[in-house]
Amino acid sequence: MLKKDLMMRNPLRAVSDENGYILPEGGLGAVVARAGVGKTALLVQLALNSLLKGDNALHISLGDPVRKVSLWYKEVFNNIGVQYQIEKIDDLWNELLPQRFIMTFNIDGFSVPRLDERLTELADQNIFHPQMILIDGLPFNEQTKRTDLQALKELSEKFKSHIWFTVRSHRHEEPDSDGMPIQIAEFADLLDVVVKLEPQESDIRLNVLKGSGAISSQNLSLDPATMLIKE
Amino acid sequence: MSIELNKIRNIGISAHIDSGKTTLTERILFYTQKIHAIHDVKGKDGVGATMDSMELEKERGITIASAATFCEWDEHEINIIDTPGHVDFTIEVERSLRVLDGAILVLCSVGGVQSQSITVDQQMKRYKVPCIAFINKCDRSGANPERVTEQLIEKLGHNAIAMQMPIGLEAEHEGVVDLASMKAIYFDGDNGEDLRIEEIPAELKDRAEEKREELIEQASNFCDDLAEAFLEEQEISAEMILSAMRKGVLSRKVTPVYMGSAYKNKGVQPLLDAAVQLLPDPSDVSNSALDLDNEETPIELGSSSEDPTVALAFKLEDGQYGQLTYIRVYQGTITKGDTLINTRSGKKIKIGRLVRMHANQMEDIGSIQAGYIGALFGIDCASGDTFADPKLNYSMTSMFVPNPVISLAIIPKDNKAQINMSKALNRFSKEDPTFRAFVDDETNETIIEGMGELHLEVYVERMRREYNAEVTTGQPRVAYRETITKRAEFNYTHKKQTGGSGQYGRVTGYMEPLSEGEFEFINKITGGAIPTQFISSCEKGFKSSLEKGALMEFPVTGIRVEINDGAAHNVDSSEMAFQAAAKGAFREAYNKAKPVIHEPIMKVVVETPTEFQGSVMGTINQRRGTIVGTQDEGPICVIESQVPLAEMFGYSTILRSSTQGKAQFTMEFANYHRVPQSITEELQKKKAEEAKKGAA
Repeated sequence: MLKKDLMMRNPLRAVSDENGYILPEGGLGAVVARAGVGKTALLVQLALNSLLKGDNALHISLGDPVRKVSLWYKEVFNNIGVQYQIEKIDDLWNELLPQRFIMTFNIDGFSVPRLDERLTELADQNIFHPQMILIDGLPFNEQTKRTDLQALKELSEKFKSHIWFTVRSHRHEEPDSDGMPIQIAEFADLLDVVVKLEPQESDIRLNVLKGSGAISSQNLSLDPATMLIKE
Repeated sequence: MSIELNKIRNIGISAHIDSGKTTLTERILFYTQKIHAIHDVKGKDGVGATMDSMELEKERGITIASAATFCEWDEHEINIIDTPGHVDFTIEVERSLRVLDGAILVLCSVGGVQSQSITVDQQMKRYKVPCIAFINKCDRSGANPERVTEQLIEKLGHNAIAMQMPIGLEAEHEGVVDLASMKAIYFDGDNGEDLRIEEIPAELKDRAEEKREELIEQASNFCDDLAEAFLEEQEISAEMILSAMRKGVLSRKVTPVYMGSAYKNKGVQPLLDAAVQLLPDPSDVSNSALDLDNEETPIELGSSSEDPTVALAFKLEDGQYGQLTYIRVYQGTITKGDTLINTRSGKKIKIGRLVRMHANQMEDIGSIQAGYIGALFGIDCASGDTFADPKLNYSMTSMFVPNPVISLAIIPKDNKAQINMSKALNRFSKEDPTFRAFVDDETNETIIEGMGELHLEVYVERMRREYNAEVTTGQPRVAYRETITKRAEFNYTHKKQTGGSGQYGRVTGYMEPLSEGEFEFINKITGGAIPTQFISSCEKGFKSSLEKGALMEFPVTGIRVEINDGAAHNVDSSEMAFQAAAKGAFREAYNKAKPVIHEPIMKVVVETPTEFQGSVMGTINQRRGTIVGTQDEGPICVIESQVPLAEMFGYSTILRSSTQGKAQFTMEFANYHRVPQSITEELQKKKAEEAKKGAA
């Protein structure tokens, strides 16, 4: 009951399809923002949305230790509990925990083939099958190749999953002519959804740079105090 | 024994098992001339390192119990507490940290920050202990102190900054470059006792300049004068850097990193200098006690030897001449012949013999002043007791003592073993509040309880060795609990008329789950439906029902009971009658409240070479474990998980065989979770079988 209740109140519902998905199977989505604006918080909420639906979420962090990622989840989840005045949130949390898997890599140690190897191992042993993969801290620089993104897309298709990743932008950089951040401009065609977080007055706006269906027309923002999405 | 406070250091050496802290302590004692020969931990000479005072520790090459020892360096008096490294002995580590002013965090330059270092570090943070780091084993193959410094920053969140640079690593490790003084230090002589100070080797000069700049930049955050000098590119002395770093260390904002190899006698003396220069003296640290006369209000303690005395007993040891009690004096002075009060028991204690300890040797002293650590003879007390001047009713902050999660039946071999076992159990439960022993009324067996399999194993082993008590042990048992999941009402009348005066009592109310805490009793009786004098009997009745739940006879926790109505009889109501009524009411409501079994869940962290990651995850999965996450660190992978304790018996053997002995794990209590229905049924079946066997 509690789960259903939370899902009904979830602002992300408005941007999802009838099955509750924003991205199609095998799809890629990017969350773009400057440092400290709320990329990880948004990613965690996307994951929690998936967990509440009963899906498994794999959170990959490049740089932060497992403990810190766990803390993010606990923090966002507790904030949701406070916002919706939910008692017994701990019980629900314990119920969701087995559906989440955190994997952390050093940035240098991360590669798509390595991730593929890990995921195959988890699947072979029937330990974990992710329906959603989140990658936080993927570096986008001169060395990033189109083939890397293509490989990620193939991986997403192989595991019948969809992948969200964060892209860090910089204040001084101008977007390309389509309004796409330059870090991902040349791969934009591979991405299904691109959202950008921008501080605006007292809110953090969630601007949809690319996307179709429900998400294209939405107007969401993050509450800067709790980093929770609000309508 | 009178010395200025700023010349005293009470330090601990905290570390992961096998990172070499016992060897380091051994070397410190050698250089401070407290011992005259160096023994290795797993000594070929069969003597063992001096700090390992227990035979068992000597054999295993690990330090289990902390021993306080005293030494002198550069006109400073240093008390060293050698702390245990295994998580099963957490209470010992925590108790030691309570009495320390500063600590040396020892890390292995090959293994780096391991899961146990994280636990130890968290404990240090909890007790706000300022620390300096020592990266040991720089002579080992694969040594990489720079990587370990980075791990200190990334994994432990320390603002770690190197104070030194190694001169050569692995087999070529010769010495260190001191970045504050910009000198190279070599360690000559058979035991590295002769320091040779030279210019920095040319090939390291540029790198050293760079590292020094980083150091000064960090240090200047804590001292404006240094920041100014740095910006104006003035000459900066080693003293300026050290004085700024000291401020940073005391405020726990920076962790200076030293390095070397204790085993190869390199880098220990500069570390001792650093302990004296950077770690706090007792007057730098504020300590508080609880005023028992004033609702336990925290009271800041002074550090003067003239104040009324407050001291904490932090460690007990059974010696040849009776109980030895290690104490830290927080304020005032303890002198031979003084009379103090043990504020826990209220008993008077007369101070007899006072000593200070060097591992197994001791030195008689006349008094112990504020800020000092020493030991008392012939005082009967428990670990954690506070001794105070009769004028004060203070207690040092009580430490959080977790409930045991595992138990084991022990059976003595013969009568002699029985007597010795009782002595041992009495001592252990005084030493360690997480270790408990009792006799099961039903089976008449002696049961010991503790925080993990190894925890109990070590005590059983100690019984054999130190007390000559041969015992056999039963299967370890998990401390399951019962709790309710729903609110349920009760309205129970206890009525008995068997000639003479009868018994009558009625209680009405409800029970419901309580998310925090074990038991809450609320009295909402109005108009005297149950006379006031019987309310406490009702509470007693409910409380006694908690001892054994109706589901599987496990203790019941997490329950709130409210009584809001009832009835009494002028003649037949009594305390007994209301206790019985409450017990009946509990029985009536308990099953309606849908009771469930909860089991202890352990946080299990496994460190394994990456190639075994898959099989390790498999072992966790097979044990009903939830993998929280995996941390990929190149050749090593750390798997964090939550596993029911019931599934963890014998895990070390399984882990060894599935990783060719290359993985290690730590385990600590995390929380209680509901047992899945299938397991509950299994437990019930097992219990029924046991009952059958018992009846047969």
